[in-house]
Order: sequence, then structure tokens, then C-alpha cells
Amino acid sequence: MTKQEMLKDVEPRPRSTIVWATAVALILLPFVVSTPLATEILIWSIFALGFNLLLGYTGVLSFGHAAYFGLGAYTAGLTLRYWHVGLWTSLAMGTAASMLLACFIGLVAIRRRGVYFAMISLAFGQMLYFLALSPLKDITRGEDGLTHIPSVNLFFISLEEPRNLYYFILAITVLMLYMTWRILQSPFGRLLQAFRENEERAKACGYNTTLVKFFSLVLSACYGGLAGSLNTLYLGYVPLTTLFWLTSGTIVMMTVLGGKGTFLGPLVGVAVFLFLQNTISLFTPRWELFVGAIFVMIILLFPGGIMGTIQEKYLNRKMIRLQKKAATG
Amino acid sequence: MILRTERISKHFETLRAVDQVDFTLEQGQLKSIIGPNGAGKTTLFNLIAGIYRATGGKVFYKDRDITRAPLYATSRLGITKTYQITHIFPSLTVFENVRISAQRRRTSFNFWRTAHSLSAVNERVLDILEQVELIEKRNWLASTLSHGERRYLEIGVALATEPQVLLLDEPTAGMSCAETNLCAELIQKLNKSLNLSIVLVEHDMTVVMAISDEILVLNEGKTLAQGTPREVSDNEEVQRVYLGEGNVCLA
Repeated sequence: MTKQEMLKDVEPRPRSTIVWATAVALILLPFVVSTPLATEILIWSIFALGFNLLLGYTGVLSFGHAAYFGLGAYTAGLTLRYWHVGLWTSLAMGTAASMLLACFIGLVAIRRRGVYFAMISLAFGQMLYFLALSPLKDITRGEDGLTHIPSVNLFFISLEEPRNLYYFILAITVLMLYMTWRILQSPFGRLLQAFRENEERAKACGYNTTLVKFFSLVLSACYGGLAGSLNTLYLGYVPLTTLFWLTSGTIVMMTVLGGKGTFLGPLVGVAVFLFLQNTISLFTPRWELFVGAIFVMIILLFPGGIMGTIQEKYLNRKMIRLQKKAATG
Repeated sequence: MILRTERISKHFETLRAVDQVDFTLEQGQLKSIIGPNGAGKTTLFNLIAGIYRATGGKVFYKDRDITRAPLYATSRLGITKTYQITHIFPSLTVFENVRISAQRRRTSFNFWRTAHSLSAVNERVLDILEQVELIEKRNWLASTLSHGERRYLEIGVALATEPQVLLLDEPTAGMSCAETNLCAELIQKLNKSLNLSIVLVEHDMTVVMAISDEILVLNEGKTLAQGTPREVSDNEEVQRVYLGEGNVCLA
């Protein structure tokens, strides 16, 4: 075997069947479930993709990601309402605000790891929640949420029409999926995983691992801010709960349910979670109880989450094949 | 002289783990550090590599003071260590383990270029895998390798940082006698053919005596003796404190 041939078989390549199946599923989604539910799935998927970069690939648990989602939502809402900016500007400002916040939180908390980092991020998230609730009430409208947000157009297409909005957000989702794939295949993406696997070794390889964690956090906040901004477009207002810690908890649950550290896990987790929530809440107002029970069951039976379990099975089979090949020469 | 410590010390409260040790390493030299358990061998490594902050004394690398340089900085300068307990990236492939280490000097925070397109890096990874005899297992997950293979992988990961000084902390720990002898050959090969300066902490006296240019004997954090294998093994105090109890593989 030549070097070139060897180098070809060391790279993971996306399966074209999986790519096409995902594409078809996403295009047909608003015809399978209601358009609002489909739109919510996309928005939370973007949020979860970013969260997964941090939790699944870098191995850092943030328990305050509502801060990025909520800040993005409020920034987009406020700029639309008070400054009457356009679609792209509001999205860009929502995203940028969250990234700036991540830079700040990163500077303060990035040296902590594990439960300390999770707690500090939770504290920051709650701080933002209470800021929006009361001291900044005049701007944010406090508990009522930010209303009277003007609707926006994409060129001449109205995004008030649910299907239009869905396909607009789908285009952005596809873009974010592609970006995530590129990041994971890049030297930086591999470095994230190295950090997760063994921080000490990554340091011994010459990497400043504090910076790795910092960039991962900011990158993750970028997704959160974008998702939050899109959520504002979708709802037409900003509920205060976007900043509440339950939002942080939900994104953790979705990501873990789908399979942290797997590429499509966030999408699957979000879809399953929101679908269950929507279906069960038709029958009972205590839907959390059932979603919670299902979550516990899945995690007990399949600790890797849905996609994590599938990926593990696949990898195991591949390893057995490789071992057999090595044994027979 | 590529590496030198000057009265380097590390005290943990009242415990003097390393106490005023003068250590030197010449370019291309293979030097072993021996001593009973708790003599301060690993602590000395950690002081040189920047994992511990010294409580006294200095470390010089090519006449540059690196006493306060953190681990990643010493690695960039060219000092790389392997660990007594294997430190690899278990759920990544063997190839990826070495590549992450190898890409550092080319690009690290580039998040748009694919790792696949770094062909110079990737080819070097294959060369290293060839050296540590893991090329056939390049697609295996590191966690599925045998103990001995993981030790080799760790040496491969260390080599990929393009070191000038390699600190090997008990590379043969847990290996069978056959594996130990192969590993000793590999270390000697790296030392001679790549002209790598190597510091070796090792319990196996046959290996140490066979491949070292010089030996430093530590006891309770202090230098007990220093010299060629012959001088050290003839030293009566060394014999009393240490020699004769090490586990031995017959070469």
C-alpha cells in the first residue's frame, strides 16, 4: 500500500445515504409535523449543534447556555423594535452579542473545569435573567416579554408566512451543519476532541488548552446567539423564559438524548424531545413528567444517547473487522 | 549542553521531593535517572517539563531559563515527555492521536481547512507510525490497542511534536520481557539515528545499564551518584541503596 492510499483510508467521510436522508427529512418535515413545530426543531437544532461542540466534542459542560440563546433573542428583538434594523443586521447583532458575552464569561471562568465551570455559567445565566426581569424592565418589558417586534422580509418574501420562514431557517440550518462539519474536520476540530480526551496530553503536545476551551465556548455561543435571534423572528416576541435556567437544562437534555459528541445527535435529540413534548402535552398538562421519565429510561438503557448508541455499534463492528483483518494478515 | 538544572528543588510542605539537584544533559546523550520509589524521579521530570513549579533553583534549556515555562511552552521549545501512566487520546484513532500532535507546528486554531489537506503533516504521521510499528493499526481506536502498543503510541505522539529532548517516564512499565527489550532497542534507535537527546526513568537495570551513556542516581530527592553505567554500578553506596532490587529482564 502506498502512502497516498493509506492517507485515503484514515479520513472519515460522510455517507451519502445519510446526507441525502437528512436532507429529505428536513425538506419534508413541515409536511409531516406542523410547520411551527418543524421550525422550532430547526431553531433548537442550531442551538444544540453549538452546544454539542462544547459539551460533546470539547467535553465542557456549560449550565448557562440560556444566556447566549436569550441574549441573542433579546438583541435581535431590541434592534428590530427600537432601531428598526433589517433582517440580516438583527441576526448578526444577536449572534455577535452572544459571542461577546461568551468572551467575557470565558475570560472570567475559563480556568475552571467540570462542575465549577457549570456553576459559574449557571450564575451568569441567572444574572442575565434577573437583569431582564427587573432592572432593565423599561427596555425588556420584564415579565411580559418583549413584544411589538415588527415583522421582516427577506428581499420581497414575507417571513411572516410560516412555510417561508421554515425554509429560510432551513437554509441557515444547512449552512450551520456544513460549517460544523468543516470545523470538526479541521485541525482545530480535532484539537477540541483531543482536549476532551486528555487535556494533559494536549498540553504536552504544545497546545495552550485554555485557549482551546475559550474558542470552543465562543464558537458555541455563536450558534446559541443565532438560534436565539431566529427564535425572535419565529415567535414575533421574546419571552423572558428564553433566559431562564430551564432553557439551559433543556438544551443539555436534548443534546444528551440525541447523543453528545455525534454529528447528527443534536438534531435527533431536539426532534425527539420537541415531538414528545408536543404530542404528550395534547393529553396532559404534566408533559414534563412523561418526557422526564422517557429521558431517564433512554439514558439508563443507552448512556450514549440515540445517535451515540448507533455510532458505538458501528464503530465496534468496524473494529472487529479491522482486528479480523489484522489476524488473518 | 542542551538541558541543565541548577540546584532545582520541589518541596511539598515538609516533604523534599527533589532537593537541590544538579542535572545536565548533553546534546545527543541518553541519560537515565534511577533510584528507589519516591526518590523524586518523576518529580524531577515534572519540574523540567513545566508541570510543577519549582520551589527553588532553575532549569535551563540551551542556556535559556525555562524554570517558569508551563508544560505547553516547554513542549513548543522542544522538550516532550511521556507519562508513567499512559496518556493518549483513547477514543480517537491511532493516526489521529499522532496527527494532533504533529499538526501543532503547522496550524492549530485553523477551523476552516480540513486536517486531511495537511499532506506534509499526514505523511510525517505515517513515518512516525512506521517507526513505532503501528502503521498497520492506523485506523484502530487507541483504546483497543494492547498495553505495550499504547506505550509505543505515546512515544509516537511525543515524537510528533518534533522534540529535541525526550523525557521518557518508565516507558517499559507493565511490558513483558520481550516487549521491554524491543522497546529498549527502539529508544536506542531514536537516540542514535535521530540524534535525540533522551532522559529515561527506568526500573529495569539491564536496560538502563545496556543503553545509557550516563546515569544519575537519586535517593530521597538528592543526588546519590552520577556517572557512566560502570562507575554507578561500582559505587558501593548505590549498591546498598538501590541496585540488586530492580526487576531484571535478561537481554
